Amino acid sequence: MKMILHDLSQQEFEALYPSVDANTTVISDDGAIRHCVGCFGCWIKTPGVCMLKDGYQGMGELLSKCDEAVIISQCVYGTFGPFVKNVVDRSIPYILPYFVMTNGTMRHKKRYKNTFDLTVHFYGDVTEKEKETAKRFVEAMCVDFHCGKHNVYFHEDVPAEGVTK
Amino acid sequence: MKIAMINGSPKLGQNNSGIMLKLFEPFIQAAHEIAQYTISKEPLTQEQYLALLGADALLFAFPLYVEAIPSHLLRMMTALEKHAKREKKQGLYVYFIINNGFYEGTQNRIAVEVLENWCARCGFRFGMAVCQGAGEMMPAVESMPMGHGPLKNLGKAMKSLAEAIDNKSCGEAIFISPNWPRFMWKFQSHLFWRNAAKKNGLNKADIGKLMDNQHAAD
Ligand SMILES: Cc1cc2nc3c(=O)[nH]c(=O)nc-3n(C[C@H](O)[C@H](O)[C@H](O)COP(=O)(O)O)c2cc1C
Repeated sequence: MKMILHDLSQQEFEALYPSVDANTTVISDDGAIRHCVGCFGCWIKTPGVCMLKDGYQGMGELLSKCDEAVIISQCVYGTFGPFVKNVVDRSIPYILPYFVMTNGTMRHKKRYKNTFDLTVHFYGDVTEKEKETAKRFVEAMCVDFHCGKHNVYFHEDVPAEGVTK
Repeated sequence: MKIAMINGSPKLGQNNSGIMLKLFEPFIQAAHEIAQYTISKEPLTQEQYLALLGADALLFAFPLYVEAIPSHLLRMMTALEKHAKREKKQGLYVYFIINNGFYEGTQNRIAVEVLENWCARCGFRFGMAVCQGAGEMMPAVESMPMGHGPLKNLGKAMKSLAEAIDNKSCGEAIFISPNWPRFMWKFQSHLFWRNAAKKNGLNKADIGKLMDNQHAAD
């Protein structure tokens, strides 16, 4: 399965993806998302599911079914825009609370067997330093979520049709 | 000097960022006027944004969330950038205390870069950052003597940060782990998760629950 997470307007998204197949789930901003409140309920109360019932509580389950994820986000200071970062923060039910060591530093243990490849399309006016930060950020995030391959692209404007294919 | 302290933890109750700010306050000169802000319940008002821009220095304390800034704080930072540009407020000194869950304070490196990039966009001066690993240890150690035992590194780092703020100067980010063995932190954390789950009526196997019959990792 494939997930597309984006912060484009409906119109911009439809111009980019005129049709989406049944195997793809699109996560977009419906205005209702709440920010993670750091309760860790997704690990110790309702393991695997976020406690905030706003329609974005199922990110853990969704990622467990993905072999491919695409993120299209404004680049803000070398990281995602607030909406996309919000969804990513709400995605920690995908992993377990336990610590494991990787390359000499800690990270969380995997919950699920699957892995997904990640492609990130950043758009907007981005400085060279922000680009470097953004590449390092995506790489580190891929370690956190045990991703497979990853690719990062930068676009000056909202990506146009064909760019993300 | 007017210092605005912004607690950027999204937790509603006690949080490690708040403990860090409380422990830090005695380090800076008593003559400073300190105003406290939280953003966990409500976003800041226009007046509060303007008050921040009217301060001599800002001190943010926040947790690392997925390698960078928690989303609600990121939203606040983008709003502050807009206000700063509108008000043509340049050169504000900004300092940071970051804490993260993993043992290594160095895991805050990317967040520090993001903060530097933000300061550059706003026209602010990146003052200094203290980045502490194993932040969830704070409630257990907050009443221990600062600068000793598990708080040895933190005491030294907070002293440097206070000097920087008192003199409105800039310095390098300091990355620290607690003076406590890493294997102990790992062991204690695992015990913590199991006990916390138990209080909710869950056992060890429940913590590893899989949705919709998906397969467990090896
Ligand atoms: C959604 C989420 C993401 C997190 N991401 C990281 C991370 O990438 N690295 C890390 O070391 N800790 C991470 N943590 C752990 C927090 O930084 C840690 O629990 C911190 O002590 C919380 O501080 P507070 O009490 O001030 O909110 C994360 C926690 C949450 C809830």
